[in-house]
Amino acid sequence: MTNALSILFCLTLMYLAVTTRLSSYVLILVFQGILVAGVYTVSFFENFSAAHLVIAGAVLLFRTILIPSYIVKIIRDLDMGHRDRTRQYHPGFLLQISGLIIAALLLSHQFSRITPLLVIPLGTALAGICSGGLLIVRRRLLLAHVIGFLIIENGLFLLGVGVKADLPWVIELGAFLDLFVLVFLMGIAINHLKSHFPEGAGEDLTTLHD
Amino acid sequence: MILTMLFILGLPVLSMAFTAWNPSLEKNHFATLAAGGGHLVATFYLLLTRQNPFPAHAWFGIDPLGSFFLLILSHTFFAVALYSPGFLQRMDKPEYQASRRLYYPALNSYLLASTLVVITQNFGLLWVVLELTTFSLVPLIYFYRSKESLEAVWKYLFLVSLGLVFLLIGILALGVAAKGVGEDASLIVTDLVRDAAQLDPLWVKTSFVLALVGISAKIGLAPMHPADIDATSNAPGPVAALMAGSLRSTAMLVLLRFYEVASNTSVRAFSQGLLMISGAFSILVAAVYIWRSRDYKRLLAYSSVEHLGIITLASGVGGVAMLGAMLHTLFNSFGKIALFFMAGRINRDLQTREIDSVHGLMQSLPWSGFVFGLAFFYIIGTPPFGLFFSELLILRGMVHAQNWLVLGCFLVLLMIIFIGMGRAVLRMLQSPEPFLAPTGKPPEKFHVAHAVSFYALAVSVPIAILRPDFLFGPLHSILAEFGFAL
Repeated sequence: MTNALSILFCLTLMYLAVTTRLSSYVLILVFQGILVAGVYTVSFFENFSAAHLVIAGAVLLFRTILIPSYIVKIIRDLDMGHRDRTRQYHPGFLLQISGLIIAALLLSHQFSRITPLLVIPLGTALAGICSGGLLIVRRRLLLAHVIGFLIIENGLFLLGVGVKADLPWVIELGAFLDLFVLVFLMGIAINHLKSHFPEGAGEDLTTLHD
Repeated sequence: MILTMLFILGLPVLSMAFTAWNPSLEKNHFATLAAGGGHLVATFYLLLTRQNPFPAHAWFGIDPLGSFFLLILSHTFFAVALYSPGFLQRMDKPEYQASRRLYYPALNSYLLASTLVVITQNFGLLWVVLELTTFSLVPLIYFYRSKESLEAVWKYLFLVSLGLVFLLIGILALGVAAKGVGEDASLIVTDLVRDAAQLDPLWVKTSFVLALVGISAKIGLAPMHPADIDATSNAPGPVAALMAGSLRSTAMLVLLRFYEVASNTSVRAFSQGLLMISGAFSILVAAVYIWRSRDYKRLLAYSSVEHLGIITLASGVGGVAMLGAMLHTLFNSFGKIALFFMAGRINRDLQTREIDSVHGLMQSLPWSGFVFGLAFFYIIGTPPFGLFFSELLILRGMVHAQNWLVLGCFLVLLMIIFIGMGRAVLRMLQSPEPFLAPTGKPPEKFHVAHAVSFYALAVSVPIAILRPDFLFGPLHSILAEFGFAL
């Protein structure tokens, strides 16, 4: 079950490569949030405790409801819907993400020879982290960069599951709160940026240099 | 001891709540000053008594390393709190109203978050509280609400958070390394040091590399330094002093926590080598950009890259150089208080940050010019100031370790930086033509910023010469914790 959910997560990464619509990015985030919560619940099912339940609930609350709703609000407030195409679809990006997924799974398999690990969730996590980074590099809009960052965070959460790092629930909740505040601050910053840089593109931020 | 903890954690919480609720800047100033003063007194008490008010192996604890870095934080914060009313008084334009209102709550939340970073012993929790320091600085960096400060705050928020992702992966790798310990495995520093022999070396190595890469953005080590340079140079003077004087040191402490674990395992030599490479590369980058910089605030920010590079390099060398690195961290924070306070005042009075547009500071702004000049001699390591002694210790450590190549490169780079900085600062201080005082403008008066800066520069001299036991006692304990002998 964990493996099936992880593979679905990989498919969302491939969808990420072929879409350029901000609304699709938000949908990917919602779907990934559900998958991540699912992987977490299934992984710790055998010794499931109230703490695990709280974390799974927090994943759903933060990653599928609060953060995506906030991003939709930013898109609406800034009227970004009408020009949501950050860059034309490029097959090269799909090839890169596919290559990343394969490489990550192979790397995870190599790691599993050294330490007991969940191979597919770990490989998926590594692929998620790299794909988020790639999205930041390949897309122009700052909001797309925020989404790339959130995909990295989803990968990071899966990484914790992959390496069976059962962190105390207080720390997990603290990390969720940090993530939410971070996205909130980035949202405020984007709001302000729009007044100085109407396009809201990363390449506009070149005022500061030596 | 409970009272001490109330002073260290309770006062910032109370002050943060009060300043968030109360709109009066005057009252907020006194609340912040009281919190900073109480924090400083409690820190001195902890240094003098050398006691850990928390139970052993708890998530929080104050070890010698923590108490030393708490002093750096507390001292820098108090200096900034003293200067803040003078700074805010001049920021009276309507566009600064919102920033003025947010200033003290953000300052207090920074103190709280940084204190938590210093006293947290659990690596997982350390990551959570480290992110809080970034959030607390956002309204402070964005104080001027200009296009530049907005770009700086965006880059800082984004790049530092991305760096912290790597740090978290490093923490997870450390968790994997600790699995070899068995049921008692934890992410608490003291436990990891105790069980160091049972940690998987490969994962400790992975963890250290990721932690170094991740935290570099916050420390300002090359090549992850650009966001930090932008943020420091676009923040107001007191905020830049806080960032250069304490934030970078606090982030350095996090790296040292990883180093503490690694240096007690078989990957000690690997981690030392990595720190030396990272430190040397940062000094090299600083040497190049100090020559290229046309903006004196950016120049000072690159000076921070240089000094954090020196601290990282010396930590890697170990032994006496590590003692020098610790002292260098303290003395660098003193120097940065003076330099950024003065840079802020020069920028406000002359309305320019361009080195080429500033001439004759000694005549036009005699107090600020004099302190700026003094701080320049301080930061390049001129005797009798503290940085001279800490650099001597670092050089002694390199000679002891017989790292001749590192020693040679270090001296050459310091020379290049000295000439590069001197070229810019001395040009600013002196005037190529006779100075003509602008009509109608009153001469500069002695300000609290000058007094605080004088004190910050002067206090390093007795510390370096007299070597007080309350400070050097913990420093020797730190070396023992890292397994270094003098």
